[in-house]
Amino acid sequence: METVNPIERVLRGVAITLVILFFMFPILWIVLMSFQTNETILRMPPSVVFTPTIENYQALITGKLETSAGILEIAFMKNLFNSFFLSTASVAIGLVLGVPAAYAFARLKFKGSEDIAFTLLSFRFAPPLLVLLPLTIYFQQLGLANTYGGLIWVYQLIVLPLILWIVRGYFEDIPADVEYAYRIAGHSWGATFRKIALPLAGPGIAAAALLAFIFAWNNFVFALVLASADKQPVTVGALAFVTASGIQYGQIAAGIVLSIAPTFALALYAQRYLVEGLSLGAVKG
Amino acid sequence: MTVQLSLKAVDKFYGPISKGVHAVKNINMDIHKGEIIALLGSSGCGKTSTLRMVAGFEDTSRGTITLAGREIHRLPPVKRNVAMAFEGYSLYPTVTVRENIAFALKAARLPEAEVAAKVTEVAEMLEITDILDRYPTSISGGQQQRASLARALVRDADLHLLDEPMGQLEPQLRTLLRGRIKHYIKERGLTAILVTHDQTEANAMADRIAVMEGGVLQQFASPEEIKEAPANLFTGTFVGEPPMNVFPATVTEAGGMIHLDLQGGLDLKYPVSEFSDPVRKAMVASRQIVLGVRPYAVHRSDQGAPAQVVANQWLGDQTHIAASFAGGAIVLVEHDFADVVLGQDIRVQLKPEDLHVFDAKTGQALSHGAELA
Amino acid sequence: MTLELKNIVKAFKSDVVLDGVSLSVATGETLVLFGPSGAGKTVLLRLIAGVIDPDEGTIRIAGRDMAGVEPEDRGIGMAFQNFALFPHMDATENIAAPLTAKKMGKQQIAHTVEKVAKMLKIDHVLHHKPKELSNGQKQRTALARALSGEPDILLLDDPLRNVDAKLRFEMRLELPRLLKSQQATVIYVTQDYKEAMALGDRIAVMNGHGIQQIGTPRDIYMSPANLEIARLFGDPVINLLDVTPERSERGVQVMLSGQPLVIDAGFAHAIGQSCVLGIRPEALQFVPEGTPGAIPVQIETEAPLNEKTVTLALTKNRREVMISRPSGTEAPSSGTAWVIADVTNIHLFDRTSGDRIEPGQSAAVQGAA
Repeated sequence: METVNPIERVLRGVAITLVILFFMFPILWIVLMSFQTNETILRMPPSVVFTPTIENYQALITGKLETSAGILEIAFMKNLFNSFFLSTASVAIGLVLGVPAAYAFARLKFKGSEDIAFTLLSFRFAPPLLVLLPLTIYFQQLGLANTYGGLIWVYQLIVLPLILWIVRGYFEDIPADVEYAYRIAGHSWGATFRKIALPLAGPGIAAAALLAFIFAWNNFVFALVLASADKQPVTVGALAFVTASGIQYGQIAAGIVLSIAPTFALALYAQRYLVEGLSLGAVKG
Repeated sequence: MTVQLSLKAVDKFYGPISKGVHAVKNINMDIHKGEIIALLGSSGCGKTSTLRMVAGFEDTSRGTITLAGREIHRLPPVKRNVAMAFEGYSLYPTVTVRENIAFALKAARLPEAEVAAKVTEVAEMLEITDILDRYPTSISGGQQQRASLARALVRDADLHLLDEPMGQLEPQLRTLLRGRIKHYIKERGLTAILVTHDQTEANAMADRIAVMEGGVLQQFASPEEIKEAPANLFTGTFVGEPPMNVFPATVTEAGGMIHLDLQGGLDLKYPVSEFSDPVRKAMVASRQIVLGVRPYAVHRSDQGAPAQVVANQWLGDQTHIAASFAGGAIVLVEHDFADVVLGQDIRVQLKPEDLHVFDAKTGQALSHGAELA
Repeated sequence: MTLELKNIVKAFKSDVVLDGVSLSVATGETLVLFGPSGAGKTVLLRLIAGVIDPDEGTIRIAGRDMAGVEPEDRGIGMAFQNFALFPHMDATENIAAPLTAKKMGKQQIAHTVEKVAKMLKIDHVLHHKPKELSNGQKQRTALARALSGEPDILLLDDPLRNVDAKLRFEMRLELPRLLKSQQATVIYVTQDYKEAMALGDRIAVMNGHGIQQIGTPRDIYMSPANLEIARLFGDPVINLLDVTPERSERGVQVMLSGQPLVIDAGFAHAIGQSCVLGIRPEALQFVPEGTPGAIPVQIETEAPLNEKTVTLALTKNRREVMISRPSGTEAPSSGTAWVIADVTNIHLFDRTSGDRIEPGQSAAVQGAA
């Protein structure tokens, strides 16, 4: 049946609304919380009626957290910067290393290539704590503990397998004939990689970079163990809101809103690329 | 002849009626008992939508479909008594080819011996006896297609629908199987609709061809009639291989002669008496026409117009010659080895009795050679 | 440029695709590689292009051994069956790919692209991306790309496979002139015997890991080396009937539909041998009853086939034969009919090996006697 009757249309609308409510409610609640004081948040019964306040945001930005026990210095903005820097740098390095590797795994079936690729993926299976303990000791001896460099290095455990496996799939989707055609036209394999493989895998690389960025941004354990306050990202920094005089829900909410904003914006922006997919109509006929 | 299937004012809309995509536009067709019909057209012409409405996989947006005296367009597919061979084969993967073919017969509670005999017969015809005990996944695409065809043909139904049934067949088998299937259908007096984009197949199999384009039935006639009197330019150029030669021309009448001015400064003159009065009037009124001539009707002759050979291709039992002519190209078919070489100047003759004349604006046929004589 | 292949062997894992293929193509020649799918035609083309390497054997272009020479350095142009256009570049950039590789000036590139595009009638769609092109335009763009660099060797991998029948026909008539104007050595792969016959100066028939016959279209159609090749050329397919040649007072004869058919006396050496007689459908002709040498057949059905009409009939032994004639000629359409075979256009094959049996020379004298 192609024609939709009115009852069906209404029911469909109700169903969609319910689903949206279910998934969006926590985010909405967090946003509402971030504009409330701890008292209004914790009152019983909870209510959506309140006088909005921006003092949570103020506290975060100025770095002065007012608690009943007095003023507490927090480094939230510094944490935010750390998150940003660590994630961006990790993804950038991950791309530089991962994309050519993905291409190699996709195109050159050399001995042991599958094993190597799988080993890289298996890094994602192991619980982070398994590697953290030895790493902490090594890092301290190497002077890498509590440095951006060290963290970015460890972040490759998260970023690299992801980029490698996603991008590899995209490279494999490019028909080999398209690349052969460019080679036969007289171009070296390097030029073929730059002019054909990279642009065609572009949407895939963007998707992988975005996912890797989000994973890096959300990482907690590595940074918790290997970084001290001035190198900590927001995920760890948020612990500061658990103060001796109670948990600062309002500020936590504001912190969450601020820290999801960049990834959220990025996801919205990149959605185009993710949906676009590969436009290989010319090849598939 | 009794009418077996009748489509009356049938429309198909995808989406709401008169707002959605109008895929099939006001189709009227009567198909007689024992007839083989081909629905012919390129992809998106509406032939598959029409077939699916008849089979019951799409609802009929408007109009009525009657099969063997029953109105069927509101019935579910199982109640229509229609057998269908699907383009995608759709064989049951969990049973053997034999059980696939016998499925409907067993469901109809036919005696086992009769089922076995029917299956053997149809399998022999389609050359699949050696794979009867294999499973669909272990046989080639061409074999699956033949198995699917066998499953449809073995049934005793009011109507047999064959959707692109021979696309995957090995070329060496194609002509032979077409002949056998046609014989099989005719021998049993079955009524069949064949959906195809291949005009060769339509011509080889069908008693009448329904040419569709843009959701509209362009012409519904016998292969001979479509060949000799195409209703419009589309039908004329779509049916026939090599395709009909076409040349835009301007018509003028002067001094008892009809002048057809082709591009490239070529002026073909025919005495007015060669054309019947209404045709002559229609041509002069249209002024801008398209001249069509079938490749086999173009002959080399000293009296002809000049042309220059660009290709001479011998295919074993016939020769295709292409020559530049009147600012375009003209194709000739000859049945022997032709001793012309690339670049050679030849003369080709277009006899008035072989000309098809179409109105340049509407594409409607104004006259056909056959009427002129 | 000449192209020479010697004893090429190529296997994928344990699957031998090419087993000792040798071939030489002269400058300016169009050689068609013809055969059913899986015969290794495309693999052979890729070996020549250099995108895969042979396990054994040598490939020489203009006398130079190509071992270790990268695809970009072989002076080759190639059109792919699936077009393989660069989806992110418009038609101009696609066609210009071989020119940018040569570091040609911008103006010269534009000029060359324009020229090739005009020749292939795609100059009006030069700014379209591949997905905005129709199938026929894609195919022409792919061809233009292969031609624009004026390669010495042109490899065409079934370029008309994915376009509709009309375009295929049109291109088939256009291609010979195009290829000759390029003066390139052309290897053309196809599965369509008509294309092979229409375009090839010579045809190499590939089947079962190698080349089974090389010759002009006429050689192959008129003297197929074996049964399989006879079946691959011609539509409708050649009629094949089991016969055993025997001696008669008029020379050598075979029994067809209960009637003797006198064949070339040169086949005397095949007397008593189990054979298959091949008669092309166009070598059978309807004649009135009582014509000497006529064979009775029972007509089953009749089907038109593009400018010819094919009749499916049964012999007395219920063997199917197909008879083809030009459309528009009269013929009986039902019941019993009589046909006569053109004995100059028949083929004899050994039933076990499938190999062609040539009529002997001496026998021609015998026949005249």
